[in-house]
Amino acid sequence: MKAPFSEYLNGLLPGLRRLIELLEPDYDYVSVLSTDSKGLTVNISQHAKAVGNKTMTTERGTVVRVRRDGLYSEYALDRFDARHPELAAAEIGEALSQQLKLLKATGCQVYETAALSDEPLELLVEKETGQLPEEAELPALVERLSAISDKGMGLSEHMLDCMARAQSTHICKLFLTKNRCLRQSYVYSEGMVAAIVGRDGQNKMGYRSMSALGGPEVFAKLSDKVEEAVRDAEQMLDAERIVPGEYEIITSPEVTGLIAHEAFGHGVEMDMFVKGRALGADYIDKRVGSDLVTMHEGALCAEDVTSYAFDDEGTLAGDVVEIEHGILKAGICDAISALRLGTKPTGNGKRENFEHKVYTRMTNTIFDSGTDSLEDMIRSVKFGYLLEGMESGMEDPKHWGIQCILQMGREIRDGKLTGKIVSPVIMTGYVPDLLGNISMASTDRGVFGSGGCGKGHKEWVKVSDGGPYLKTVGRLG
Amino acid sequence: MMEKYIGVLKACGADAWEAVSTKTKGWEFYFIGHRLDQNRAKNVEHVTLKVYKKAEDGSLGVASAEVAPTETEESLRKIVGNLVYQASLVKNKPYLLNGPMPFTPLGTKPEPLGDSSKAFLETMAGIRETETEYLNSYEIFTSQVERRLVNSEGVDVTETYPSSMLDVVVNARKDGHEIELYRLYKLGACDSEQLKQDIEELMKFGKDRLSARPTPALGSVPAVFSTDAALEIYNYLLDNLDASYVLRRMSSFALGKPIAESIEGDRITLRSLRELPNSPSNFACDSEGAPIRDAELIRDSVPQRYVGSRMYAQYLGLEDAFMVSNWSVSGGSKSAEEIRSGRFLEIVEFSDFQVDSVTGSIFGEIRLGYYHDGEGNVTPVTGGSLSGNMAENLGCMYMSREVRRYADAEIPCVTRLEKMTVSGVEQA
Repeated sequence: MKAPFSEYLNGLLPGLRRLIELLEPDYDYVSVLSTDSKGLTVNISQHAKAVGNKTMTTERGTVVRVRRDGLYSEYALDRFDARHPELAAAEIGEALSQQLKLLKATGCQVYETAALSDEPLELLVEKETGQLPEEAELPALVERLSAISDKGMGLSEHMLDCMARAQSTHICKLFLTKNRCLRQSYVYSEGMVAAIVGRDGQNKMGYRSMSALGGPEVFAKLSDKVEEAVRDAEQMLDAERIVPGEYEIITSPEVTGLIAHEAFGHGVEMDMFVKGRALGADYIDKRVGSDLVTMHEGALCAEDVTSYAFDDEGTLAGDVVEIEHGILKAGICDAISALRLGTKPTGNGKRENFEHKVYTRMTNTIFDSGTDSLEDMIRSVKFGYLLEGMESGMEDPKHWGIQCILQMGREIRDGKLTGKIVSPVIMTGYVPDLLGNISMASTDRGVFGSGGCGKGHKEWVKVSDGGPYLKTVGRLG
Repeated sequence: MMEKYIGVLKACGADAWEAVSTKTKGWEFYFIGHRLDQNRAKNVEHVTLKVYKKAEDGSLGVASAEVAPTETEESLRKIVGNLVYQASLVKNKPYLLNGPMPFTPLGTKPEPLGDSSKAFLETMAGIRETETEYLNSYEIFTSQVERRLVNSEGVDVTETYPSSMLDVVVNARKDGHEIELYRLYKLGACDSEQLKQDIEELMKFGKDRLSARPTPALGSVPAVFSTDAALEIYNYLLDNLDASYVLRRMSSFALGKPIAESIEGDRITLRSLRELPNSPSNFACDSEGAPIRDAELIRDSVPQRYVGSRMYAQYLGLEDAFMVSNWSVSGGSKSAEEIRSGRFLEIVEFSDFQVDSVTGSIFGEIRLGYYHDGEGNVTPVTGGSLSGNMAENLGCMYMSREVRRYADAEIPCVTRLEKMTVSGVEQA
């Protein structure tokens, strides 16, 4: 079925058009983004079970962007009355003029920016889904997650709790200007199983996740994850501490995705170029990785949690080749940063929700596959680790440092997995070294979209990332 | 508006219910250098409704929904009716919601948005910059928040408070090389003097980072924390006092039993506070209506009381538990100067310092540290990582007598963990 576009937003359309007309005499650019995204969350553990409708991306509200005298301003509200758009126009005008009075009084200088273009375009995209979160078969889903939690508890004598979570969101967004009317509707879902084990005062947590463009029907795959989550947690109980040092490493697709995200995801967000915060600006057409490194970024390059048709500024989704055979080719860009840099937006202008500002943000960030088998890659390692399980990451685009916190490393000696586990593992290093040392890449690849991404320590948005198994050299601690 | 929700909830057939409305008016200013990138304003309300339904077997189901203020009464009835059905699908051990309890309101009054914004704008314009250390960009967020909580047991609490945030990126450059340092400050209103002091300290760190050497592979070495990273260490303690951790046996903390088998370092005293000057979390009641108390949670490294949500607290048999908003850790036996003695690594900048509250694992990539070799030599270092585990350090932590405030916490200025490992980027 097609995910139907919001009737609520369709109902707002005439009022929003009128709002734009009312604001246009005072501003030389006016756009509106209205959202109506519904969701479903089911959380089941041995001690607490709950159902809700809130996910990271559920929202209903409107944000109006205007430009005057080279300055972009925004107003976010959640009570737009389509019958009386003049009320919203007055509220917006009053609040922004108060701010401008203060800015003038404090002597603020403006970063003057040209007006965004407003090429005519009409678009309605309703992507395919099996089910809608609003219409999920909830009893079956609760039963499935409860069975997962119960099964997990039975898989190890050390289990403290086993949590299962399913979330599904039906995104509906309307972008409107005088000449553009873009509407999109799609559903994405994500699930997670976490096993917490304890022994002799020591706790460990193993988790497995899944994500997909689609509705609650995709949670059928979640049941397969529980054994792996419990196995990981159990193995970590017996894990040793790693001896800090530089090792040959093979990154699992999930860890590969984390590297893609932290290394040349954040590193080429071009709003950072405007601020002079990213080294990447000076490295376009220069080598940043080995010949095996080709990396794509864009809502069109995978079907996952952030595969939209247009971004939050009304720019159509793209597929940017950021790195081609080791050479940095391009960054990703929101519309205002593109104006400032004299380039074209790439469809990466995203907001946490209608209340938040647009920044250049990632969508799907993915390394291309290679030609090697995982078995050959392991055979090629004298002494090193197969790294698995993503905990978190952090980048430093100004200095190209990278930090990846990982669940575990599986020891490889003389081309064989020894069965020894080290956990936890923190991988740090200099991005061009990490990518420059990539010497093998597997033929398969995975895409993971169960996490969120912040800008600094805020502005959380959905992203996905992934790639194949990669062999490189990394500093582990 | 709240009366509309209450009316629908009362009529829905749920055994208990709860409604929380949070109204926010906010102003935001984004700067690149000192040029205004964008100004924003918002006027929004978030309403969360929760319903509870008892089953014949005595279990309790719960379902919640965030509802838009634009929902009609008819759609609201449908949403709430659906919640009652959804609640019937999940079975929890029963517990009761909070009833009305006596508390003293805090009387916090946010200042007008124009005034608080002006204070931030002027503070940032007045930061002392140099040719080589300067503000790259900053973002100012000021807001007035009104939160009202009503439940079926008679709780009806409204609190109004200011909430502000400042996101700052500082750059430092030398010989064509440039680095950046980042801070996110959360506070009630603008504290101009404290912010200036913190940001100017950040500029000093930037300067030092440019002359830093690659961190040697120091192996086992005590680590000293003197910036906001130390909050993570103390948050581990707070999380392990949470009823949800205790009930699930994820915490080994027990009331009356020391948190470590032998304590050779300073003893820890951790308190919950109703109010902390300029905290963005000064609330008289928690988000479930329980009065927040000034209380000792850990005294001399011995847990005194658990905290947490109503559900887990009742499961543990606690009757007067609450969720902590502000907290403090008392200073230790030594001065900051005395703690900085012998061989140690003081880390002032991490990429993202983390302490895992479940496993106790400590991690962080080092962006700037000062290595003291114990013979009077101090070397700024960068790169490599710090790791360790809280369980091994609880008995050998040292804390300075001097304390400082960060957002909703007051902690010792300097914290020292003895059993840490540093993976360097060059051989020691």
